[in-house]
Amino acid sequence: MLSSEQDDLRLLRESARMLFERAGGSGRARKLRDAGGDFDPEMVRELAEAGVFGVAVPEDNGGLGMGLAAGGIIAGEVGRVIAPEPVVLTIGLSLGLLRRLCPDHPKVPQLISGETVLAVAWQERGPGGAPADATCRYAGGKLTGAKAWVVGAAGSQGFLVVAQGDDGQVLVLVEANADGFVINKRAQADGSSLGELSFSGTPAAELASGRAVQDALAEAVVDATALAAAELVGLSERAFEITLDYIKTREQFDKPIGSFQVIQHRAVDLHVMCEVAQAGVGEALAQMDGETDPKIRARLASRAKARAVTAAKKLTRDAIQLHGAVGYTDEFDVGLYLNRALVLSAWLGDDAYHRRLWFEAREEEGAAQ
Amino acid sequence: MNDWNAMTDAEFRKEVRQFFEAEYPEELRHLPHRPKFAEIEHWHRKLHAKGWVAPAWPAEYGGMGLNAAKLLIFYEEQQRWGVNRGRDMGVQMVGPLIIKFGTQEQKDYWLPRILSCEDIWCQGYSEPGAGSDLANLRTRAEIDGDEFVINGQKIWTTMAHDATHIFMLVRTNPDAPKKQQGISFLLAPMDQSGVDVRTITTLSGETEFCEVFFDNARTPRANLVGELNKGWTMAKALLSFERIFIGSPSLAQNALGQLESFARGRGAFDDPVFRDRFAQAALDVEDHAALYARFADQLKRGETLGADVSMLKIWVTECFQRITELMIEAAGPDGGTIGPLQVGNISVDVLASFYKARPTTIYGGSNEIQRNILSKAVLGLPG
Ligand SMILES: Cc1cc2nc3c(=O)[nH]c(=O)nc-3n(C[C@H](O)[C@H](O)[C@H](O)COP(=O)(O)OP(=O)(O)OC[C@H]3O[C@@H](n4cnc5c(N)ncnc54)[C@H](O)[C@@H]3O)c2cc1C
Repeated sequence: MLSSEQDDLRLLRESARMLFERAGGSGRARKLRDAGGDFDPEMVRELAEAGVFGVAVPEDNGGLGMGLAAGGIIAGEVGRVIAPEPVVLTIGLSLGLLRRLCPDHPKVPQLISGETVLAVAWQERGPGGAPADATCRYAGGKLTGAKAWVVGAAGSQGFLVVAQGDDGQVLVLVEANADGFVINKRAQADGSSLGELSFSGTPAAELASGRAVQDALAEAVVDATALAAAELVGLSERAFEITLDYIKTREQFDKPIGSFQVIQHRAVDLHVMCEVAQAGVGEALAQMDGETDPKIRARLASRAKARAVTAAKKLTRDAIQLHGAVGYTDEFDVGLYLNRALVLSAWLGDDAYHRRLWFEAREEEGAAQ
Repeated sequence: MNDWNAMTDAEFRKEVRQFFEAEYPEELRHLPHRPKFAEIEHWHRKLHAKGWVAPAWPAEYGGMGLNAAKLLIFYEEQQRWGVNRGRDMGVQMVGPLIIKFGTQEQKDYWLPRILSCEDIWCQGYSEPGAGSDLANLRTRAEIDGDEFVINGQKIWTTMAHDATHIFMLVRTNPDAPKKQQGISFLLAPMDQSGVDVRTITTLSGETEFCEVFFDNARTPRANLVGELNKGWTMAKALLSFERIFIGSPSLAQNALGQLESFARGRGAFDDPVFRDRFAQAALDVEDHAALYARFADQLKRGETLGADVSMLKIWVTECFQRITELMIEAAGPDGGTIGPLQVGNISVDVLASFYKARPTTIYGGSNEIQRNILSKAVLGLPG
């Protein structure tokens, strides 16, 4: 007997999977990439209709209130079809910030309904850089300075920017078409881009300020990290399925290559890694939902991302090897999975980075006991 | 008579934990070697008096009658407290087989003697020519009047030198069309002139397993369990629970705990490279435990486990080995030293852990064999 909660999650998974399959699965991702790398606004609206973006927003604020584990299930489905839509960005970062800082702001329902997409800009010097070092300044309704590593910058209608205000940090909203605002796009392996934003007296609206901004940002980043892990697990799972099908059908020496023991054992190792990742990341996200201490939630997210990146690296690299030369072509789908894994692994910290955070958090908890 | 299964998991866990903590002799906790029966006899007596020798057996045969969920809790608590499993091959392997396939006479005679350890059992499956390919076994048993006459050799027989009886797979029909078909399951006394036991010294210097030679050894025909020539399918039928047990996280968890205290005492965490590798190992253990919990939940829901449970053993044994490598690394120049190493107020026997980890990937179906099973039965890969 499964609990009704598990039942809800299963239904959520099935409906997200159907939606993506109907839309064309990973073939859609290839078309979008070839067309320039942006996501499909129509798909954003369809996802919104299915309740995807509001999944972790409390019901009182117009969401489904299902928590991060449910978000992880959706992210896993996004990963399976390497969909470029800003799902983790919206669930984890933009709504993650707004629902914590200003849940009644009109942008909240707009994000939930897919009417708008907001990218989030906070980093200036890499994931290790403390937000307090930020030099991008906000004063008198104007923003001046620069931000980098902005995911989803290309298709967003606006930006949530964390900047230095007169009294500590502020969260401000900048419209994409604002004056004195330049976006420089850096191409990523999967066809998406990272934005480098520069502001020179750009008009911006203040949404929140003070210590709360820093805390909400940290928590939103933690959520997004865990969701990115779930996306990587879905991606790994699908890359494995594609590879398994391939080694069952490709013949050499008059036999399917999957009949060779070396290949079989490698396939088993990939399968086991996938299962461990699914179990570990699933458990981490479920535990995050039951945990309020931000430090413990951060440790759990690091556990998830460390595992997911380790798994995705192994899965996608070995997938190429087991495909032989066709795996090195752009024509075969496994390559798309590798390229997406490169991008998702680097985003918000890779496995080595998160093992370090995890270890440090564990030491700190140990010392506190 | 207690109905353990009617208790909540938490109540049951508490009860088991309290008993172990109160009654298990301190000097036997986390024994680094396999004890002879004499060494643990006083503990076995307590366990027997309590009726806890055979947690998995049905109550009507003197067991605790635990369901799968309670059984896992029992073993978890046993391992958590470092309670030695004792000489449990009778309880773990012969008993369940007799319960499932034995006659009433066999049950009445053998089961109480297993519980009391009046008979101490060893497992005679492997032979020099029959390891992974167990069905290749050659040890012959021929019917002679009321007896079987046994000739051949078993090897790697754990603790045969401290056993009164051996349960074995023997060839009773050498002409069967498939080699799996001519095999029977037989019980035999060790104390007879036709049985010769020679100990084998292991890498760690212990005498843990043996060679057992049979030269016209005899056992009554009544000691055949199940039908003649049906031993193979019977032996396989027992594997299901053993497969999750052998994949449980506890060995690796205990080793990780030891590694952590040892590394801390040795200052190994000052090295960022070591920290990273420790974190990797610790996360490997944590995520394995999450996977294990999924299989345990399946058992709790009363489902039977599929062949995919093999992945637990592959992952956890290899992880256990990596952890013991890290212990050696943390030991630095003492990495080749026999016996406990003292750091602060704890002592860790680095090499004992290392040696203990080695055969885990060999026995219980080697990890290569487990990969063969997964690739065919789970991934559906051809031939
Ligand atoms: C500590 C210890 C205790 C033991 N206790 C007992 C006991 O009490 N009773 C008992 O009967 N047995 C016992 N065994 C024996 C154990 O069951 C065997 O060691 C095991 O079945 C492997 O057989 P083998 O040692 O002959 O190795 P082999 O089968 O010769 O294997 C050698 C290597 O070849 C690999 N290999 C073999 N076949 C294949 C294949 N098809 N594909 C890929 N790789 C393959 C194996 O994985 C291994 O790496 C014990 C073993 C150990 C180490």
